[in-house]
Amino acid sequence: MRVVVCLKQVIDPLTPASTLALDQTEKKIRVGIAAPPVINGFDEQGLEAALRLRETNKDIEIVCLAAGERFNNDVMKRSLAVGADQLILVQDPSLDTWDPYPIASALAATIRHIGGADLILCGRQGSDWDNALTPYILADLLEMPLLTLAKRVNITDGQRVEIERVLADGSMMMNAALPALVTVTSELGVLRMPSVSARLTAARKKPRQIALAELSVVAATAHAPEVVDLAIPVTGRSCTFIEAADGPGAGSRLAEILLQSGAIRLGGEC
Amino acid sequence: MTGILIVAEVDAGELRPEFWELVTVAKSLSATVPGGMSIAVIGANVDAAARQAAGIGAAALHVIDDDRLANPWPEAHATALIRLCGELTPKMVIAPRTILGAEMAARLAVRCRWQLVQDVTQIEATADGGLKGLRSVSGGAVAATVRAGPGPWVVVPRPRAFAPAEIGMTADSIAPVRHAFEPPPLATACEAPKRVAIEGISVDRAKTVIAGGGGLGGPGPFALLREIADLVGGAVGASRVAVDSGWVQPAMQVGLTGKTIAPDLYIAVGISGAIQHLVGCSSSQVIVAVNSDASAPIFGVANYGVVGDWKEVMPAFRDALAGGTA
Repeated sequence: MRVVVCLKQVIDPLTPASTLALDQTEKKIRVGIAAPPVINGFDEQGLEAALRLRETNKDIEIVCLAAGERFNNDVMKRSLAVGADQLILVQDPSLDTWDPYPIASALAATIRHIGGADLILCGRQGSDWDNALTPYILADLLEMPLLTLAKRVNITDGQRVEIERVLADGSMMMNAALPALVTVTSELGVLRMPSVSARLTAARKKPRQIALAELSVVAATAHAPEVVDLAIPVTGRSCTFIEAADGPGAGSRLAEILLQSGAIRLGGEC
Repeated sequence: MTGILIVAEVDAGELRPEFWELVTVAKSLSATVPGGMSIAVIGANVDAAARQAAGIGAAALHVIDDDRLANPWPEAHATALIRLCGELTPKMVIAPRTILGAEMAARLAVRCRWQLVQDVTQIEATADGGLKGLRSVSGGAVAATVRAGPGPWVVVPRPRAFAPAEIGMTADSIAPVRHAFEPPPLATACEAPKRVAIEGISVDRAKTVIAGGGGLGGPGPFALLREIADLVGGAVGASRVAVDSGWVQPAMQVGLTGKTIAPDLYIAVGISGAIQHLVGCSSSQVIVAVNSDASAPIFGVANYGVVGDWKEVMPAFRDALAGGTA
């Protein structure tokens, strides 16, 4: 059984906003300092879901797949270090885009090129553009059932995938026949750490490179709205720091200020 | 002819409050999108909610009421909406950014290849017949102006970014147009949700929210936040770190992948203020931050800050409030 995990290389979301550089010509977000990119955190959780599935389904082959302009191989090879069997990178300048349609088209073509997948796992959204659309387009292009926001993923009888879907006030069990696409959410848990020896072994492995031209990519006919301007938002707030001799003093002073300003009205709501 | 179709989401028989924000968006665009405002209500036993929604003076009220739509089953609800849109051919669909609404919007947009204008805090029609919107990307670090082509469009406004329309009741109530739910075989199946009872007031309805993050170090200190919330009639919230660590339930999460809230007062305790958290709370009227790290980004959006250990600050804060009630 083949599980394909889609990974996206993104700017580290912990990069301070002050170091972001906006390219207004290309409408791209760049990092102004030499900070390495990361694998999109939600996608890493998709990989963790695949690794957990393999613990109980030994015949699972885990293929990680990423489509983008260019990759930091050391960053992407973390997927091999934690246990993925294969890493496929599809690189093309046209894939440096906010538009999920060309990305999903490239992913769909690659999955067809390698002979398909029984299960595709994606993160719920990319932390760069927050569109959360690629999985929807990919499932549509491959005509696969789509289950989203999984915090738990199981394969039942090798035939169906069952997930626990997160809701605002609880959860819901859902299932679909394989092949299917599942998106995972952060409640699933973080990606395990690779052992030192696994990291060294992975360092010697090479990702499989596939050029976009080798794939029969059906050009996207639809596009996401175009980004026409980027800006760093300003909050317009300035913080008044509470000065006091010690912690408890600051706590009571804070209560006093909030009561005086009317921000807190005791005696309940309204 | 249908101009704007507003998706009115019904949860356990009740019209979700985001509906009134969608009406504000629809009204602001109705001058440039001819065909009037219509409403789509999809679910099971939705008549009372549908009547309430129709009070906005809608041109038409479309109802798909079927027991198979009782659960928040994304594929079933989306299929019902996609088929309705096939019949009505609206120029614009406006859906709420709830877990179900956002998924219906995405499925509709992708299946019909319509442009999805999502998470917008501002939106307007452009002179060339398109739409222009403002939204945050990269977890809120960057504001992007996006432009969509000639439509049809699926618009998903950011919660709390638009003032809710007045809950009006027009004199003439319109008769609902009932549509049968006759889907093709669906590829997914679901069971009834397991709902977790929320302790106290929900974070997205409270006027005061006191939230805890990774700095609290575990689930225990949330009891102190609960005491303070009870004193001021507020709710307890949490950052993603606290939720992903399993300290508190996901319903309490504030942020990009949690709830977007805009209370009168937001008190962040031990929350560093990762961008993805700030995007969920930055519309609060007054923000207070308590954190031991003076360089924590949360202070950049706060009105009042205390640099200190919450273990020392918060018990005194509670006692001062408790003393105030006496």
